[in-house]
Formats: sequence, structure tokens, C-alpha cells
Amino acid sequence: MEPRSHSFYRNSEKSLADTTLQAALSRTTGKFVYARAASVDAYPGFEDVRSEGARIKKETLDALDRHLARFLEEAEKRGAVVHVARDAAEARRIAADIARQEGVTLAVKSKSMVAEEVDLNPALEAAGVEVVESDLGEFIIQLAGEPPSHIIAPAVHKSREQISKLFEQKLSEPYTEEIPELVRMARKHLRAKFLAAGMGISGANFLCADTGSVVLVTNEGNGRMGTILPRVHLAVAGIEKVIPRLADLPIFLRLLPRSATGQAISTYVSILTGTKRQGDPEGPEKLHLLLVDNGRSGILQGKYREILKCIRCGACLNICPVYQSVGGHAYGWVYSGPIGAVLTPLLTGLPEGAPLPNASTLCGACAEVCPVKIPLPKLFLELRADERDQGLKNPAEVFGMKGYAAVMSRAGILEAMERILGVLSRLFFKEGRVTWLPLKLSGWTGKRDFPAPAPVPFRKLWKKHRGIRPWNR
Amino acid sequence: MEPVGNKEELIRRIAVALRGHEGAQAAAAPPPPAPAGIGTEADRISRFREQFESHGGNFLSASAWEVLLPALGEELRMAGVVALFFPDGDAEARRAAEALVPFGPFTLISPAEARQPVSPLTAGLQTAEFAIAETGSIVQTSRGGTSLLPGLLPDVHVALLSPAAFVDRMEECLAAFGQDPPRNISFLSGPSRTADVEQTLTIGAHGPKKTVAVLLP
Ligand code: SF4
Repeated sequence: MEPRSHSFYRNSEKSLADTTLQAALSRTTGKFVYARAASVDAYPGFEDVRSEGARIKKETLDALDRHLARFLEEAEKRGAVVHVARDAAEARRIAADIARQEGVTLAVKSKSMVAEEVDLNPALEAAGVEVVESDLGEFIIQLAGEPPSHIIAPAVHKSREQISKLFEQKLSEPYTEEIPELVRMARKHLRAKFLAAGMGISGANFLCADTGSVVLVTNEGNGRMGTILPRVHLAVAGIEKVIPRLADLPIFLRLLPRSATGQAISTYVSILTGTKRQGDPEGPEKLHLLLVDNGRSGILQGKYREILKCIRCGACLNICPVYQSVGGHAYGWVYSGPIGAVLTPLLTGLPEGAPLPNASTLCGACAEVCPVKIPLPKLFLELRADERDQGLKNPAEVFGMKGYAAVMSRAGILEAMERILGVLSRLFFKEGRVTWLPLKLSGWTGKRDFPAPAPVPFRKLWKKHRGIRPWNR
Repeated sequence: MEPVGNKEELIRRIAVALRGHEGAQAAAAPPPPAPAGIGTEADRISRFREQFESHGGNFLSASAWEVLLPALGEELRMAGVVALFFPDGDAEARRAAEALVPFGPFTLISPAEARQPVSPLTAGLQTAEFAIAETGSIVQTSRGGTSLLPGLLPDVHVALLSPAAFVDRMEECLAAFGQDPPRNISFLSGPSRTADVEQTLTIGAHGPKKTVAVLLP
């Protein structure tokens, strides 16, 4: 999809005014945050597992050339056809060629963020393939023609009424407000697709280098259906998904579901190695692996390497006060929340993603929940500094910040400023609130009142009463 | 179709990106710490049961077949099951399915019939390869040409577990396959579920709506 991250502020205005979205966001993020905390509390060894997961990911990235080469070799040895794509356009072209050459007209797809990133579906459709999203949330937003708004809950922004109206229109199903009924309709519709599809398309949660295995983690079972029933399986994955060994997988299976949904384990884990073997009654005859770089090797080079540790659990989205307020679509591209605020500028370029690293209060909650310990706030600051270095910051803001720094680092000037503001406050802001500021500063007062500067600054009070407690004065 | 894209070039690109950065020549990581064991076979089974039930699965055990069969038959009848199938070559599942017939309105159907888009309400029976105590997961694999359909397609999945199938953790299960895992290893932890509509947990998205783990006497 075309990124619209540059208009983050405008997108946010729209999201904040959307009452359905606001209701959905407060319901969802609260549930996720609570479920995660409860499941982590119930698992005493979680911190150790987290450190172990972070360590494995870091060491894998530090020697990714070696691990990726091993993965390619092992996967090919077991019958997979491995393709590598340098960028999104190449990934689209390769996927379309695979579909054409395999003679596929119907494909069932399970959720894949990288497929969204490279915009796979339109390319396949242009090659004459009907692509059906089989994850219920993805299926819903595909019917609605919208992008996902959450990594693991793509349709969080839709109400059951909206979903039923969609099913009425697109699937000719009767209107209902019963959620189990809606799920039953989707199951029926998609089951027929699974059985008829020539190709299953999946992402990959992990790639195991020592066995060439692709690992899928789902709750619905769609990933399983699409990789057992159709004749061809196409797995699309970013090059950073590699872990060194199949034996490392349990560590990540203890981290991912707890961080994502608060489950001790997701309902289905599929570890897929090679193609249908002699005597197998089912399974794909062809396995195509499409590994996507699309800017990742560039990220590997610099100070942002750690962002590639991400296992896409979504925990940082749920806990983020900014995500909780504006939702996923405001971020303007595939990835949202704190992870999106770092990945989007890195993958689409800074001018496009520039507002996103600023869409943070730097509260640090994201880093605290991240199962692989990515220092997200530190990366926001790095990106902000890059923005300044590349001249992407508003000169007035740079000037303002310089002024702020100058004042804050000189006690005398600070004191003088405080006095002036105190006098202004007594003269103009009698209520103790600032309700209006001019021009660019209106951002502070547009949606709420700003507290007025104290008439008598704290430091003056301190000088007067230093060490003297008011009650024994 | 032939592989596309220059793999050597990709690896080189990554190597260049890593060059000069700490860790580029990092030694192979030590193996992850060995997980603590859970204990005796009975501990493993009771831990499995607790976890499996917390996923919404049903656990059945009895000291003898005479007690187990009516209980399982009742369980399936209540779920509305009218047809049973088992994969070719699974003797235990075949025996159980045939013995179940008198306990319900059950007819035996073939795997091919179970694969039809519209089939009667079906239970698929299968002997499970492993049961993981830590996570409450049933493990089915394609090893030796084993089918994966019973845990995939039908409305009800019945997994038959021998006491020897229980392992402590995921590590022990994966270690059993060494460096040569079968085409498909699946961990199945309770019925298929979704929360994609208004984050409301709903059972039976694509896979079985009911899962029964049966501890063989
Ligand atoms: S950055 Fe961390 S918390 Fe956020 S999605 Fe990735 S792994 Fe999860």
C-alpha cells in the first residue's frame, strides 16, 4: 500500500473523531494489556526466557549472513525452492511468476505482514489469481477493502454490525448480531475455498536455520489448512525471521503467545519442513520460499539493527498511549504503534515516516513489554536526531529547542524567565489555565487547557522556605 | 519454477552490512538452557490435563475400555456427531472407532469423504504422537506417512494418548526428531478459536470446535 505516514497528524485527527474506532480501541487494547500482564505473572520464569530470546535474536542478527546461508542450504536440501527478492517490486514479480507457472487460479492466504508490506495481493490478482484472506480479521478487512489496523487483530476497528453488513453485501448472508453466527458464516465460506485452492500463501513467524523449517503460529487453524490442503505452498518472509536452531523455537513459543494475546501457547503451531514425501497422504507437492530484503540489509548496517529482532507480537501497540488514542490506520502504513514508528521511517524513508518517531511520549512502556527487549524509545530519539540532521525538522522547532536548552542549562536565565512568566500569569491567566496560544503553539491548547505558569516559581518558594517545614514554621 | 533472485548477492550484501560491527564473527550461540523436568509420568499427565482443559479441551480417562467407550460415545453424541473417521493405518484409532459405533448414531466414513466441502457432523480419531505437559498440546506429525486430517477438518478431534506419549516440555518433543524433522509437526492446543470480531473469544474458526484427549487405559 502507498504509505500515508507523512500525514500522521491529519490521520490522527480523523481517528480521534471516529467514535466507533475509539470504542473499539479502548475495548481491545485494555483486554490485550490485561491478558498479557496476567499470563506473564502466571509464568515465573518469564524474565529469564525474555533475556534468552533477546540474546538469541541479537546473536542471530550479528551473524545473519551465516545463519541465512545455512537456512537456504537446508531448506533447498529438503525440497524447497527458495527465491530472494531485493525489494517489494521484485517480490511481487516473483510471486506472480510462481502463481502463473504453477497454474494457480485460487489461493488461500494466511496473515503475513511482509506480504502487506510488499503489496502482494494486487500483483497476484493482476496475474489472474483470486487471493482469499483466510484469517477471519484479514478476511473481513479484505471484504471491506481496507488495510489492517493491528498486527495481530487486523479488524479491531470494525464492529459486529459493520461486519454483518459486509457479509450481507458480499456473501449474501442474512444480517445477524450474533458473533458465533458470523464466525460460522466465514468458516463455511472459507472451507470451500481451502478445499478448492491450488496454492496456500503464508508468512512465517520463524525460520529455523539448521533444519530449513518454516514455523507458523495461529489460533484459527487457517495457517494449517493452507499448508496441508493445497498443492502448492508459498511462504513469504523477511530475511530477519531466521533463528539458528529448531531447538531455539521453544523459547520463542513461550514469548510470542504470552506477549501477543496472553495465551500460554497459541492453539496451532506448525513446523513445516520441505515438501510432501513418499507415502504422505497429503501435503504440498511444491514449497516456494520467498525471502524479502526490501531495505532490511540496510537497517542491519547501522544503529537501528535491533529493530530487526521484532517478532511482531503487538504488545508494544497495545500498551502505547499514542496507539491507544489514534489506532493503527493513523500511522499510514502497514506497521503501526511503536514498532511502526521505527520500521516505517526506516523502510519507506525518513521524509515519508518523519512524524512517526515523534508520535511517542517517551514513556518507555513499549520497551518494558517487548519480549525481545528492543529499546524502542532510544530508537525514536535516534530517528528524531536523524530528522534534525537531515533538515527535516521545522526550523522554528529547532530554534525553540535550542532556546529551551539554553534556558534550562543556565540557572540565572531560567530564574528570570520564571519571574517574567509569573508576572504574565498573574496578569493574564487568572484561572490558572491557558486556553489559547497563537500560531504553532496552538497545538498545546487546541484540545485542552494548558496549566498556567505558577505566579510564584518553585525555586523562589524553595529559597524562602528552605528546610523549613510549613507545619512547624 | 526455478529459483529466482541472486542468493549469493543477498548473503554478500548482508555480510558487507555487518562488516566492522561487533559480533560479525560471533561464536556459535551456546544451546539454550536445559528446561527443568516436570517429574513422574503421573505429574506429566496431570499437568497436561490442567493445561489442555485451560485451552478449552476435554480430557477423558478411565481404568478400562468398558468405562471409557460409553463416556466418549456420550461426549460425541452430545456434540451432535453422526460420523467417525480415522486415518488409514492407525490401528488404535480404527479399533476405537469401530467399538464406538454401538454407542451412538455413528457411521464410519473414509478420509476422502471427510474431505468433502459439505460433510455430516464428523469426529476424526487419531493416535497422537506426543502430548506436551508444559503447554497442554497434542502433537501430530506427518512422520511415516501419517495423515493430519483428523485434527484439521472435522468438527470434533479425538486424540488417543498412550501414557508413554507424554513429555515434559516442547524441547523433549522436538529433540525426538533430531536434525531431520518430518514435513509437518503440529502442536494442537485445544479447539480452534478466534477473537477477530470485537475481540470476543469464539470457538471453531477453521479447525475443530471440540477437542477430546483420551488417555488410553
Ligand atoms: S517491537 Fe517488541 S513488543 Fe513490539 S511487536 Fe516487535 S517484538 Fe512485539
